[in-house]
Amino acid sequence: MVEASDRSIDDRAVRVVVVDDHSIFRSGLKADLADSIEVVGEAHDVESAVQVVTDVAPDVVLLDVHLPGIALPAGTTGGAEVIRRAAPLVPGTRFLALSVSDKAEDVVGVIRAGARGYITKGSSGADVSRAVHAVAGGDAVFSPKLAGFVLDAFGAAVGETASASDELDRLSAREQEVMRLIARGYAYKEVAAELFISTKTVETHVSAVLRKLQLSSRHELTAWANARRLL
Amino acid sequence: METSGVIERRMTRPRECVATGVSAGLAAHLGWPVWIVRTAFIIASLAAGAGLLLYLWLWALTPWSPGDERPSRSAPVAWMLIALSAFCLVPVWLAQFTVSSDVVAELVGTWFGPTLAGIGAAVAAGAWATFIDRGESIRGPRHELTVRVVATVLLAVTVLVFVAVLGQSGSRTSTFGAAFTALAALVGIALVFAPTLIAQWRDLTAERTRRIREEERSEIAAHLHDSVLQTLALIQNRAGATSEVARIARAQERELRDWLFAGDAPLDSDLATDLRDYGGALEIDYPVTFDVVVVGESRERASGELAAAAREAMLNAARHAGGEVSVYVESSPAAAEVFVRDRGPGFALADVPGDRLGVRQSIIGRMRRAGGSGEVRPGAGGVGTEVRLRYPVERSGSENGRG
Repeated sequence: MVEASDRSIDDRAVRVVVVDDHSIFRSGLKADLADSIEVVGEAHDVESAVQVVTDVAPDVVLLDVHLPGIALPAGTTGGAEVIRRAAPLVPGTRFLALSVSDKAEDVVGVIRAGARGYITKGSSGADVSRAVHAVAGGDAVFSPKLAGFVLDAFGAAVGETASASDELDRLSAREQEVMRLIARGYAYKEVAAELFISTKTVETHVSAVLRKLQLSSRHELTAWANARRLL
Repeated sequence: METSGVIERRMTRPRECVATGVSAGLAAHLGWPVWIVRTAFIIASLAAGAGLLLYLWLWALTPWSPGDERPSRSAPVAWMLIALSAFCLVPVWLAQFTVSSDVVAELVGTWFGPTLAGIGAAVAAGAWATFIDRGESIRGPRHELTVRVVATVLLAVTVLVFVAVLGQSGSRTSTFGAAFTALAALVGIALVFAPTLIAQWRDLTAERTRRIREEERSEIAAHLHDSVLQTLALIQNRAGATSEVARIARAQERELRDWLFAGDAPLDSDLATDLRDYGGALEIDYPVTFDVVVVGESRERASGELAAAAREAMLNAARHAGGEVSVYVESSPAAAEVFVRDRGPGFALADVPGDRLGVRQSIIGRMRRAGGSGEVRPGAGGVGTEVRLRYPVERSGSENGRG
């Protein structure tokens, strides 16, 4: 259930690196991706992922959250570690997290490390392709579950609302509305129609929320993620 | 009639007894007064301990009278055994010091029986407190420990006394006898504490087994997480979300997850858990996938009206729309809300004839009667249907109280 905007896609194909330790999953995903996506590299663990990503500098890295790696710091996932090591070297590359885990702490960990979105591995090839294009275009990709998590973690359900737009620890009223609609399964386009705003504005709000998710020091983010296994 | 009943009746020991219930049980069985039975046992015991043997034999083989309550004993048997032990041992100690060392040699032989009896009684007291009195509230909380400490003191003093005798005695036999008695007392101390040590060792083993099992389980979980869940995800991915294969894979994935993370989920089913489970069940029967997103701590119970209406809405979506259905549950301090959104053909409420009560009655009517509100409207962009349910928290609280 990943929805992306209908923004015009560049003529050239989006260059993608697929990082997953299961070759069967990599090949399945490769076969399923849309024609507008070109897989330029694959990797199966943290070290090879960093190597491949820095070598080919793709537009998007499809990154498994759980990756094996040597000497991973405790409390982090292989996916987050890849972003931490590779992202500074390839500023133009964006990371999209894929997971079967649904564990809030893992997914939030990889988002906070710098991923631009998160989708579940059960998503169809079309959904993944849409998400890749959205991320390549600079948008954030929020699944309904991630939106729900954000609402919960930022205290939206208990009525906490940011008073200033630059506040990192709470969501603005508009951001909450957008997140609520995404959590209810609305596509960006539908969110825009529902709120009488443009799709572009929806994307702006989502990106703002992503930024807050990455930068906020709100303790509930980690506490909440630890307390619940389901995202 | 009566006699045949008596003959058929088995001897049992009453659950409320003095020490073991043997005398009372035998008295009831034979129809004699209890005191006669007791006297008979004592007299028979004088005949080379035959009465005692019979008593022990009956104790071992007679079952408790049928019932559920724990047997309770009015006599403090452990303390009586301690008293017996002290009665046997204390004169022995005193004798070792009050008489001259020449007589000691003889005395060791003479007091040999009582000393062993005293040691045996102390060990028996410890065993009785550990195995039989355990869990009996009338003995007090520290009963077992106290009995054991007193028994240990008796035995330890015996050891010391006989070690002292060992130093003084001249003859070989008395040295041997003293050494044997001291050793017996030492073994007695070990026996008094053996049950505790065994219990602790058993706890330790159980703990280790549990830990190993836990480790094995998490290892299996990690492995399954890496392999089987990935494969199931791939199957869903390749087969298309609503195909039969994908639904089976999804159901399997859910079952596997439930097993892997068993114990994490709250036992009491709340609204969110209930709707997740219900969605899972519907996915097996209909070509549909439910994406249940929960925000806020859900206080609604699964038995409430809101849950019933939400389930009805989900069933409708599964039946008439299929495909991907989003369920969003938000619990705020003011209200609990559920949104069920499908992308099916959709329908307008006005088009549904009034005699088809499904949606109107079971969703909207139900919510209204319960004090909430329900609304069915076309989904965003005219695609599909969205059901919105809202339930104020105060009302839902009283509703649950009544239910």
